[in-house]
This record gives sequence, structure tokens and C-alpha cells, in this order.
Amino acid sequence: MSTAAPKTPKLPVTVDKPTPYNFDLGLLLANDPNPVSVPRTTTASSDPSILESHLANVARDGAQVLINQLLTTCAITSTSSGVLLSLPHAQTPLPREKPVPAPKPETKWSAFAKRRGIKPKTREQRRNLQYDEATGEFGRKWGYQGANKAGQDDAIIEVKFNSKKEAERKEGTTVRGDKRREIREKVKRNERRMRKNQRHSEGRK
Amino acid sequence: MLRQIKPRNARSKRALEKRAPKAVENPKTALILRGTTCSQITQDALADLYALRQVHAKRFQKKNPVHPFEDASSLAFFSEKNDCSLLLFGSSSKKRPHSITFVRTFDYKILDMLEFYLDGETFRSLAQFKTEKVPVGTRPLMVFAGTAFESPVPNAFTMAKSMLIDFFRGEISDKIDVEGLRYCVVVTADEPTASETTTTEDDPSSKPVLRLRVYTIRTQRSGQKLPRVELEEHGPRMDFRLGRMQEPDAGMLKEAMRQAKTGQERTRKNVQTDIMGDKIGRIHTGKLDLSELQTRKMKGLKRERDQHLDDDEAATAVETELPKRQRKAQA
Repeated sequence: MSTAAPKTPKLPVTVDKPTPYNFDLGLLLANDPNPVSVPRTTTASSDPSILESHLANVARDGAQVLINQLLTTCAITSTSSGVLLSLPHAQTPLPREKPVPAPKPETKWSAFAKRRGIKPKTREQRRNLQYDEATGEFGRKWGYQGANKAGQDDAIIEVKFNSKKEAERKEGTTVRGDKRREIREKVKRNERRMRKNQRHSEGRK
Repeated sequence: MLRQIKPRNARSKRALEKRAPKAVENPKTALILRGTTCSQITQDALADLYALRQVHAKRFQKKNPVHPFEDASSLAFFSEKNDCSLLLFGSSSKKRPHSITFVRTFDYKILDMLEFYLDGETFRSLAQFKTEKVPVGTRPLMVFAGTAFESPVPNAFTMAKSMLIDFFRGEISDKIDVEGLRYCVVVTADEPTASETTTTEDDPSSKPVLRLRVYTIRTQRSGQKLPRVELEEHGPRMDFRLGRMQEPDAGMLKEAMRQAKTGQERTRKNVQTDIMGDKIGRIHTGKLDLSELQTRKMKGLKRERDQHLDDDEAATAVETELPKRQRKAQA
């Protein structure tokens, strides 16, 4: 055994065992498959110190081998906070504490977007700010003084007679406020779709 | 039942998210509790295990009238209420002195249970070792020694090993400070002898002893690249015999062993990058049909004339025969 080495300045750092150790470095674990031959004389009645020294030898060998393995196989990076070892993933299978989370149900829109390859909007696209070419300034896309309300409150609005819109005009409405009504209609339609998607994802019709 | 609550404010929403199932799980929280009768030795042992497991542990002080192997429903309830999936239940009776039951839960239901009978005579607590104690939250090195742990079929020892790894593994990280390799948990299992194997299975004294030791690590310069490791006992010192166990339900275990799919771990097959940074792919074509191979034409290898004639004659014979028959039929 490695502890029984002659008194030389070089201390032994290797351990020789008939069966090699196996490791799970992700868990900092070493398995020693060699039989632990506890001295038969050391039952509970006799001297426990023999047993303890035997166990300490087994432990020292195990710890030495594990540290050797960690220092030789893991990538070492030295930073200002200390010397870090990169550990691999743990291999020993251990039970989870909770089930694997179920994937989110696909909405009609997400299915469509996937089919068409539509990517979600970026942060910049979602921002309520856009460059106005005409004035050379940044303005809102929606909300107070939003670009979607452009021309809504103009003093003069052109009415196109003989157009489809004028023919289908509801009783009691004029061209004034058309834009506002259009926006409200869009919002309502979108909300209706949203509720429908919600129903679909819950499995209701 | 707790999962169905709909959060009404941001704080309760965060609390629910914290305990919701995750693809990469948080470290398990251990709950340490005692039964109505629990010897001082068992209580000390539980206190030491609690100290080693700090941060990811909770401890109950009151007595609980629970018998895990008769009815474990209240342990499942505690697990759900406290979001703990590893329970250590200490109890002591005349028949089973100084017993610590390790219970693991999956989805707040009991997965498996195993009884560890502590040897009261050899037990030494953490405080009895006058060494410097390791800081809270340090991950231990683990060494399992003995042939009993290497069994290919699941038995009490492999279950004990799995539970002890679960207990001591701490917070899993991909990087560790070398200075953080401070202590080592060593579990050794005695060899089963011939006389012990012949005795009855149920008797716990017939099974080999499991010895749990915790050592601090000191490294010395060895004059070589690798350091020389020396150990000093840190405590606690516990000897166990394994008692009753409840094996996991096969279906539940299968669910519990499932791994969440994470994209980046998969290795790409057949694609390599060489030292110049060029991507090299290995593709598999079908088997080459060498019989169709166009080789150099030579006069000697040409198809024989007479065989060619034979073929032609046969073809003409069939051709001439058919009309004859037709002629007969018409006549």
C-alpha cells in the first residue's frame, strides 16, 4: 500500500489496487470496487483503533485517487478569485424530485408561425418608437400621438363617394371617427382570437 | 393540491414558480424530523447530518406520531408542504433501536424508503472531534468502498449508496474552486462472510455493516506535480446496519429517472473540425454495385457468338409458335 513507503523527500501520490477505481467527477464521487477486508479480530469487543486506522487507509487512498483524477482530467482555469476546475456532467442516475415539465401547448398562432417560419419580434421591433421620415424625428407607433392615428383629427378629411366603404356605411356614422372605430374593431377581433386560442389550448371547443 | 392555486399577486406567483417542476432541478431540500420515541443518540446523529446538509435542509423539533413503513401519508404531506424531497425520520424502539429512515419522494409521493440502524456504541458526534469544521455549503468528495455497492441488481446497498449520494451531493455546479475540496465523505461496506450469507435475510445483524466517516483533507507538497493527500477525521462517525426497505414502484421510478431534453448536450455525429478550422463531414453512401462497373473493353471478354445465337433462336421459336397455336384455335 502507498502509505508503507520509505522515508524519502518524495511522498508517494499513486495508489495501486487490484481493481481500478471508477469515478463520477460531476458528483466528486469515486467508487472503490475492491473488497474492504476489515481485520477479523476487530469486532465490537476488541480494539476499535485498528479498524479505524484501516478505514482511514482506505479513505486516504480513495481521496488521493479522486484528487489525482480531478487534477489530471479536468480543465483548470486560474482566475483572480481562485483556481477553478471545470467538472463534467454527473453520470450516476439519481431520481428527480419532480416530473419533467410538460411542454407548453401549441397555440394556433404558434403552429402557423412555425409552419411559415415566422420569428418572434425582436426587442427593437416591439418598441413603441419609430423614425418618421417626413419630420426626421422619432415618434410613437401607437398610444398618445401614435402613428396609427395619423390623419384622424385633421380639419378636412376627403370623402370618396362611390367607394365600397361609403356604400357599406352604417346608419348615423360619418367619415369623422372612422379611424378610431377601425382600431377598436381590430382590438376586439384580436381579443376574440385570443380567447379562442385559450379555449383550444385547454382542450375545449 | 397545492399546485392548483392560481397566484393572485406577484409574490405568490414567484413562490409557486420556485416549486414548479423544472427541466434542470434545484438541489433537493432535506427535511429532518423525529418520531414520538427517539433516543438521544439518534437525535444527535440527526443534528450532525443536519449540520452537514445545511442550507438545503429543514429541521422539525416536535414529535410526530408516524410509522413510515405502516403509513407514510403524513411524510408525503410534510414533503409537499415544505417542498422537501428527501426526508430523514429518526425513531427508536426496543425492537429497532436508533433507527434513521431515509425517505425520498417524487412529485410529493413516496418513492423509496430505507432504514439505517445506527450503532449506538460506536457513534461519535461532530462535536467530539476537535478539528476545524468545514464552512457551510462546501461540497464533499465522496468515496464508496466495498464490493457490496457494486451489485448489478438493485438491493439495499445500492439504494443506500444512491440515497447517501443524494444526501451529500450538494449544489451541482460545473466549476469548483480547488480550495473548496475541503472534506471527504467515505462510506465503506464490510464484506459479507459465508456464515452471514447463510443466515436469514430479515435479521439486520446478518447484513454487512455500513461505515460512514467524514474526513478533512490536507494536501502536502509531494515533490511531484500532484499533491499528497492526508486525512484527519472530522466527524461524525456512524456505523449502520440496513433494515427494512421499500423499493420504488417501477413506473414511478421510470418517471423519476427521465432526463429533460436539453439541446446543447448532444454531440454531433460525423462532423469534425480540423486544425485549420475546416468542417469535415463523414457521409454514408450505399453499397457500390461493382457488377455494373464499366471496365476496359477487350475482344477476349466479349459475349460469345453461339450463345447469342441460341438466345435469338429461342426467342424466334416462341414467336413462331404463338401464331401457330392461334391459327389452330381459329381453324
